[in-house]
Amino acid sequence: MKKLSKVVFHVGRVFILFTLVTGHASATSTADHTKFKELQVLFESGPEVTSACIKCHTEAAQQIHKTKHWTWEFLNPDNKQRVGKKNIVNNFCITPKSNFEHCTACHIGYGWRDNNFDFTSEENVDCLVCHDTTGAYLKSGDNAGHPKESVDLSYVAQNVGKTSRDTCGVCHFFGGGGNGVKHGDMDDSLAVPDRELDVHMDAVGADFTCSTCHMSIDHDVAGSRYAPEAKHTDDYHVHRRASDEENNAHCRACHGNKPHKKEDKSRLNHHALKIACQTCHISRMARGGVATRMTWDWSTAGKLDESGKPEQIMIDGNLVYDGRRGNITYGEDIEPEYIWFNGTVRYQLLNEKVVLNEDGYVHVNDFEGSPDDGKSRIWPVKVFRGVQPYDPEMNRLVVPHTTGSDEASYWKHFDWVKAVQAGMDSAGLPFSGTVDFIKTQMSWPINHMVAPAKDAVACDECHSKNGRLKDIDGIYIPGRDASEKLNFYGWLIALLTLVGVVLHGFGRIFSHFWRRRT
Amino acid sequence: MKHNISFFTVFIIALLGFSSLAEAKGNWKKGRIYYRMVCTECHIEQAGGAISPAEKTKAEWRDYFERNLHGPQDASAKYAASYFVSREYRESIKDTNRAAKKMLKIPEDKLLEDVKAFVDHTAKDSDQPSRCE
Amino acid sequence: MTEKVMIFKRFERFWHWTQATLVIMLLFSGFEIHGSYKVMGFEEAVMLHRTVAWSLVTLWVFAIFWHLTTGEWKQYIPTLKKVDAMIKYYLLGIFIRAPHPFRQTMLKKHNPLQRLAYLFQWVVISPVIWATGWAYLFYDKWEVWGLDKYLVLEDVAFFHVVGAFMMLTFLIAHLYLITTGKTVWAHMKAMITGWEEIDPDAEES
Repeated sequence: MKKLSKVVFHVGRVFILFTLVTGHASATSTADHTKFKELQVLFESGPEVTSACIKCHTEAAQQIHKTKHWTWEFLNPDNKQRVGKKNIVNNFCITPKSNFEHCTACHIGYGWRDNNFDFTSEENVDCLVCHDTTGAYLKSGDNAGHPKESVDLSYVAQNVGKTSRDTCGVCHFFGGGGNGVKHGDMDDSLAVPDRELDVHMDAVGADFTCSTCHMSIDHDVAGSRYAPEAKHTDDYHVHRRASDEENNAHCRACHGNKPHKKEDKSRLNHHALKIACQTCHISRMARGGVATRMTWDWSTAGKLDESGKPEQIMIDGNLVYDGRRGNITYGEDIEPEYIWFNGTVRYQLLNEKVVLNEDGYVHVNDFEGSPDDGKSRIWPVKVFRGVQPYDPEMNRLVVPHTTGSDEASYWKHFDWVKAVQAGMDSAGLPFSGTVDFIKTQMSWPINHMVAPAKDAVACDECHSKNGRLKDIDGIYIPGRDASEKLNFYGWLIALLTLVGVVLHGFGRIFSHFWRRRT
Repeated sequence: MKHNISFFTVFIIALLGFSSLAEAKGNWKKGRIYYRMVCTECHIEQAGGAISPAEKTKAEWRDYFERNLHGPQDASAKYAASYFVSREYRESIKDTNRAAKKMLKIPEDKLLEDVKAFVDHTAKDSDQPSRCE
Repeated sequence: MTEKVMIFKRFERFWHWTQATLVIMLLFSGFEIHGSYKVMGFEEAVMLHRTVAWSLVTLWVFAIFWHLTTGEWKQYIPTLKKVDAMIKYYLLGIFIRAPHPFRQTMLKKHNPLQRLAYLFQWVVISPVIWATGWAYLFYDKWEVWGLDKYLVLEDVAFFHVVGAFMMLTFLIAHLYLITTGKTVWAHMKAMITGWEEIDPDAEES
């Protein structure tokens, strides 16, 4: 009996791993987790569930330990910057540092409260947040990634399965703190998108999940934006095989190098040398009916109403002012901005002096690229602009301690100096004691909400003056660029010729009548 | 030992009962597809705006499906809410609505349960994921 | 007093009018691609420009063959003889009804100024337009053919447009000069019917 169950477990484990890796198995599994004795207990906590999972899935937790999803850290091989969610700053909620207990509601682990979290703990890996199929698994917002007490962990554990748009989306749709806030190309409309919103994820069509493109090897998911590939030269290939080390959740893996098959569209294949697929095929951002945030001004935060609660103003269901956050603006169904991008992203890190760019903004991240480095293509990005706290004497961006109810918490006591002092102490960084505000901007690549071909950007949206690519330099775009001198002299000569022949004609008419008269 | 086995038997039966109960509640994900791609779609186009399951509490939704009145309120013949998940209705819009076409063969009762499961899952007072807001 | 002479043969007339239509279509779509105005849309303009360009290439294959086999190419051999007389005629004589210094015949259907204009057309305008046009058309093959080291799209486009402006200027002048025949419509009629009324007493040039 024991032997048989062992066999069942083994078969089940192999199959689950297989389906996770390939993502192409049929919907029904050969392993029914409700029948596993290990799961037929009343689980009291998340780590207890994980302990049960890793009895069979022996390597899973260790695999997770190596991933960015777990470490929130990434060493950029190009510029050696140590980035990742743990290290970088953004201009939304700024940084999880000193706010881990709350921010780790989106960490795939349990118990990351402060700098003492044990990253080697296997049972602190949260299997359920990715493998839940019930929608009943919810993490608490202020308990370091532990599930809400109301969750029936046994029910959830017995109904685990493949990841879905819902499981990835529970964090990635809500990046920046709310639905669609951060990315511009991801919000919960992608849970059930129609064909017009996303041609691949179409819920009644191809119905791709995230992992159809973002396949994983050993739980490491492809397609990180920390070091994306901006220009792929390889043709079709089945991506994410064991030997494949590339970060290649890209269009070409399936569509190849010459995706435009029709004769009259074949010229577009050549465009792809300079233009990312996304540039034409994701014509607008935030198309699913959910607005994305475009600006965020922290410097206006702090207004309280008579009862001492932070003031809040909602317009069309969007929070446009919040005493805790400041002024916020939104955009829906809008054009992205376009830049040359070569795949290298440079971050403005906390231990570096801020660099104020010519445009008046500190670039919290900078997508590097140029028309002539041979590695860049034109990419669509959402540029998020904000005003955020910094230390004018140290000339650095700062860590504000916003969450919680302690003495220093900004959202509780609205004292920037105290909040930043606590934040910088927690991060182990120096702070002068002065807080000022500085304009910052951050770019986010636009990759999702791929429209059907008929809705792609039309030729004359770029091949025209003041078109989408009006600010892109370094290339000649017919219809946009023309020598002003050439046009001036060209039309002048044509016009003079016209005037000349018209005058000549009048002369003949005049002389004709003149002769008649005499 | 014997005691132990009977304990497990009871436990398994209880769990099976529980899971079949959950099954009977309908598949909220299927219900969500229908709700968003059929109900919401039509409301946006013909009734002046999107509808959110979070506009009503679970009890209000239960009450809504019990009364089974959809409207429009001023129409001479008020349609039953269940009419809008019926095969007849799906058949009538299948040429313009891909979701209705795709879900054409699902029995009416089952689809209604799916939709009910979805609104229950997403209602105003349902347990929602934590957000920073 | 006048006699009718067949100046333009059937193929020639077909060639002329087809070419005229194609050139006007190319100018119209070309300046839209160039960004001078927006009428049919960039994509449609490009499609039309390409199709028409290939049609013109085809037409030219036949036209060149025809010119070579019939010896008509000799019509374009330039001459400076009487060019001064022609200029004088257009500047002065035409207003006082002086006799045209050139007599059209089957053998010499173009006057000396015309010959120079067409020579300019063959030696300058067409080569510029065609060389840059082909380069433009095969832009996506530059790398494969190793041309990307020598060609820059911006320059190719520049000279293509230079050619287009010359062509436009040529067209304006050409359209006007049609009216300078014996009567305003005489040349036009000749190009349609092939027959030109010729004054037999005029001096042979």
